[in-house]
Amino acid sequence: MFPFLKSKNQTKDNNKDNSQKVLIYKEVEKNNEYIRQLFFAEKNKDFSFRTLTAKYIQKKVHIFFYSSIVNSEKIYNGIIRPLLEADGQSIKDVITIESLTEIKDFDQVVNQINSGKAVIFIDGDTTAYSIDVAEFQARGVEKPENERVVKGPKEGFTEALGVNVSLLRKRFHNHSLIAETALIGTRSKLEVSLMYVNDLVDQDILKNVRERLENISADNVSSIELLEQYIEERPYSIFPTILYTERPDYAAQFIEDGYIVLLMNNSSAALVLPATFWSFFHSSEDRYARFLFGNFTRIIRMLAFAITLLSSATYIAVTNFHSEMIPPDLLLAITSARERVPIPLFLEVIIMEVAFELIREAGIRIPNPLGPTIGIVGALILGQAAVEAGVISPIIVIVAALSGLTSFAIQNTSLNPSVRLSRFLFIFCASFFGMLSLVAALVIWVLYMSSIKSFGVPFFAPLSPHFKSRGDIYFRNVIKHEFWRPGQIKPKDKRKSN
Amino acid sequence: MKKTRLKSRELFAIVVVVVGFKLADTTPAQYAQEGQNAFWLMPIISFLVIFPSFLLLMYLLKKYKDKNLIQLMMIILGRPLGTITGLVVFFIAYGLLIFDARNYADQTKLLYFPESPTPVILVIFLIVTFFGAKRGFQAIGTSTFVTLPYLKLSVFMLAVLIIQKVVWLRIFPIFGEGLGTILWEGAKRGATFSDLFIITIAYTAFKNGKTFSKGIYFGALFALFEIVFFFLLYTTLYDYNSIDKTAFPFHDITQYVNFGEFFTNVETFFMVFWLGAAFLRFIILVYLASWILGEVLYMDEFEPFILPLTFFIFPFSLLVENTILNELVWRNSLFIIATPIFILLPLILWVTAKAKGDLKKQ
Amino acid sequence: MNRLSLLLYLFCFSTLVGCYDRIELEQQSYVIAIGIDKTDEEGLVDVTFQIANPEVGSTPGGGGEGEEPKETVTLTGTDIISATTTANAFVSKELKLDHTKAIVISEELARSGEFLRVIQAATRTNQIRRGVQIIVTKEPAQEFLNNNKPKMETRPHKYYQLMLNRASEIGIIPDADVHRFFQITEGDADLFLAPYATTEIEEQKKGTTEDDYIAGNVPQQGGSSSQFMGSAVLKEGTMIDVLNGAETRIALTLDNTIELTDIYSTYKDPIKPKYRVAGSFGKKRNTEVNIDYKKNGTTKIDILVPFELEIFSVPSLVDYSRNEKNKEILRKSIEDELEENAKVLIKKSQEEYGSEPFYWSLYVRDNFKTVKEYEQADWNKKIFPTAEINIEYHLIKLEFGKAIDDTKLNEVRD
Repeated sequence: MFPFLKSKNQTKDNNKDNSQKVLIYKEVEKNNEYIRQLFFAEKNKDFSFRTLTAKYIQKKVHIFFYSSIVNSEKIYNGIIRPLLEADGQSIKDVITIESLTEIKDFDQVVNQINSGKAVIFIDGDTTAYSIDVAEFQARGVEKPENERVVKGPKEGFTEALGVNVSLLRKRFHNHSLIAETALIGTRSKLEVSLMYVNDLVDQDILKNVRERLENISADNVSSIELLEQYIEERPYSIFPTILYTERPDYAAQFIEDGYIVLLMNNSSAALVLPATFWSFFHSSEDRYARFLFGNFTRIIRMLAFAITLLSSATYIAVTNFHSEMIPPDLLLAITSARERVPIPLFLEVIIMEVAFELIREAGIRIPNPLGPTIGIVGALILGQAAVEAGVISPIIVIVAALSGLTSFAIQNTSLNPSVRLSRFLFIFCASFFGMLSLVAALVIWVLYMSSIKSFGVPFFAPLSPHFKSRGDIYFRNVIKHEFWRPGQIKPKDKRKSN
Repeated sequence: MKKTRLKSRELFAIVVVVVGFKLADTTPAQYAQEGQNAFWLMPIISFLVIFPSFLLLMYLLKKYKDKNLIQLMMIILGRPLGTITGLVVFFIAYGLLIFDARNYADQTKLLYFPESPTPVILVIFLIVTFFGAKRGFQAIGTSTFVTLPYLKLSVFMLAVLIIQKVVWLRIFPIFGEGLGTILWEGAKRGATFSDLFIITIAYTAFKNGKTFSKGIYFGALFALFEIVFFFLLYTTLYDYNSIDKTAFPFHDITQYVNFGEFFTNVETFFMVFWLGAAFLRFIILVYLASWILGEVLYMDEFEPFILPLTFFIFPFSLLVENTILNELVWRNSLFIIATPIFILLPLILWVTAKAKGDLKKQ
Repeated sequence: MNRLSLLLYLFCFSTLVGCYDRIELEQQSYVIAIGIDKTDEEGLVDVTFQIANPEVGSTPGGGGEGEEPKETVTLTGTDIISATTTANAFVSKELKLDHTKAIVISEELARSGEFLRVIQAATRTNQIRRGVQIIVTKEPAQEFLNNNKPKMETRPHKYYQLMLNRASEIGIIPDADVHRFFQITEGDADLFLAPYATTEIEEQKKGTTEDDYIAGNVPQQGGSSSQFMGSAVLKEGTMIDVLNGAETRIALTLDNTIELTDIYSTYKDPIKPKYRVAGSFGKKRNTEVNIDYKKNGTTKIDILVPFELEIFSVPSLVDYSRNEKNKEILRKSIEDELEENAKVLIKKSQEEYGSEPFYWSLYVRDNFKTVKEYEQADWNKKIFPTAEINIEYHLIKLEFGKAIDDTKLNEVRD
């Protein structure tokens, strides 16, 4: 209810914690005991520790880590063997693995161990050393499931942050491409990676994003899908304001233009912001396809957008309120089909639309081996049998199928539900006062969209308000003729070279 | 009012929707009552009568940088006098709005929803207006610009379809009721373009004066062209004896045209765009009216006025008994009263400013 | 949660309330043609509605057994609109006039002058479109609608659509919608032509050419019993005469406000007068009408009709295509023939009708500055009947189809 109050309390708690920092003890046994208590070592089976005597100083050394999130070979070859065998002045000479961090207090120890590092305590030393040996289990790089293309790369983001960053770096070789890290969550601190090109990105927007990340007061934000909901401006809005994509190539396109990309462990997707209506509407393939074909796809998508949004609603409005508009042949055909249907036309449409949504939902959830049945059941029962039984008229099947099928042409997983929800809204409105209320709803809908802002960028920019951009709005330009970066996000270098 | 990001193109869209929409309401019927088949010439006269004053106003706005219509009046005329003239402008703007509301609701009812009561349709209009106007000026500008191409495409399509059916020779006898009548009656209806004056309240919302004047001049010319062209089509489709008998020529021609042999009754198609434009026009005008009132009353925030102003349209517009009375008597008289006011207002401002010596500074 | 439930309430509310104008398709009946007849009583007319039966012929496999494709009902009332509600005494659904294709009036009603009053009332609502065609029938409209049983296009809307379109394209009946009727009648200067039709086939008169008929006497064997041919002439809303197909066609070629496609017709063969030459007449350019208006004196009207002709059959086998002299003779003869026919019609309209069905009043208008002057000059009383009219047909292009020469019949017979 009052998020700002809550966050204030939270920060107070944090401060209290910070003031009572427990420093590392000189005696290794004391440290040992303290840590084992902290991590419930008796119960926690994957919490491991080793005690050994380091050869180079002949002192006792303790190593702590979670065995489930580290690479055990790395521990053996990179830490244990050198400690047992190598000679040297300090620990830095002995352990030559790439990262070695010094820690002074137990808070840091906990954080480091939790994020997959091994922490070494040396007897008589008040500094502990953390060594990166993390290996979180993750899938390999696979094809994106929901954003398929015919022409274009087939790699998708995966659930490992490092892999995702590498996928983006692979596509934009530039020293000023920065992968800044922010930690979010109060109980479980997780890393979020902000990627942007430093000499393109608008500092105001960047600041805004950083602030919003800092202000998250949740205990745990475990994935990018949840992060999206924490940082968006209007949680009740029917439209998304942050672009969610599974495709590294699409995200890289945005980075080049000066947008910011957020990445996290645990999510095979990235967030791109600020987003406009057009970034949801376009698809990466529009640019991979050649000029004419890319724009042809756009026309098809626009058509699909209009059909899925309005066909059912228009059908209700026209048949229930403006029957004069239907050509006589069609009118008589619909009428004769409806003569024996026992329910009003509005209900017919609603039933079919809901049925379609049910099939879609079931189709997503159904176990793979049963997959094909959904098509048979859907087509046979809902289509043919219902018509033959006289429950619905055949034309409704056409209308519902058309509006359902075309909804798949809106590929973006964030915009797609908005469109489907709006469709139901329009259906209800159309049944109220025909075209009058349908147009009324449409006008408010458009006005609402125009008033949305994503990180200060108007939703319809650069169409209106106008900004200099590469002219990729309804249709895209020839690639060689794109001279400007999108002006609505105020990139530092507006001119693009081609 | 703080600056918005709007540019000339959005202002152009706003002007075209607000002024150009008159080709599709009862304005042509009003003109035709007097001008018969020469009524298409009359908007040109109306425009010529009122445009010099408008240019003068634009000149003053340019001189006084960063002031909108009401602020300009306050500065030049002083606070008490400025408030009174501001209120007059507000009442004219609001009055026209009330008649228009009734007018559109009646048209919608008569032509498409014969069984529904006018108040219910009016309520739908006002709900949309309220929620729309609440979204703020930038959203209004953006959505007007985004939808304008579709609105104009539908009008263009209608023109193409109807041009096949017109008989151009019907424009003769060229002066219809007589040259004198056309000039006088045309001049009396200068208020057809009064919306141009009302839009100057948004002067400060744009980046600079140049952006504003570019948008409003192009918009005004386009709207004039559109109106005259459509009036010409009405004249040539109907004959001089029939034109003054049709109350809603726009809807009549949409009923007459067809897309080939299969789609014969396509008026609902055009009605969709007509309604969209009507809603937008209303939203814009209500927003501007509350802005004017806010400025007159020295309020920092005028958006709270949107609700009461929208609400009071309802009882007032239902006072008149029927459409014909609403149209031909009340709206017409308001037009005739408003014309001299809008012609004289910039003149008075200019003379006062000149007398005070404000204009010499720069 | 609260907002969501509020929205749901709103939806339920909206779907329950929205019932002012909402009506299901199957609760309406669609009238395709309206017939109007005179009754004995002043101010009352017989209105006939022809209603389409959606169940016949619209979906494969659908339709009640043995149902008619249309239902025709007649009742007495003051006007069309109020009759639709009275009709509900014996028609089960609400009658919708939006899809009306034609208004059929009987010759009797048209001649009585009552028609204007009845049709005027209909245009106040927007149910009857301005594009609806007007048909005048020889017999009462009720009879016409009842007897009209097309064999192929059993669904009535298709029948009217196709029949009227085709017949007016080739010019044997005029294209006459309500809009044109009002413009001409209210303009009060010209004559309105409406298609003339009947189902009463009379004794067949032997016509000289293929379109020298009026409806009812076109020689026909088999097929539907209704004929559309010729036109009814309406002056100020009252019918005064009937033009036959040929005359209608002439009137239409002289009128620039009407579009015509190519017309097949036959002409005298100037060299072997026993035969006729067949060709297709094309009006590609507008007829030029020049009116030299004199306020006091005789107005001169010059008319030039440019046309194209494509000859496709010369049964006499005279070589017209390659013999320049013959070609010239043919050209002259066709022009003369057309001029002759047109002159007869113009004379008839000057003397009998006192006005013309060609919409020529348009061309005199630019002589006047105001409507008042124009109305005082009075086209149909003062100007036209006394005007001196010259008409000239000009054949601008003569073609002979794709064959170079005809087969010599006598050579073949050898």
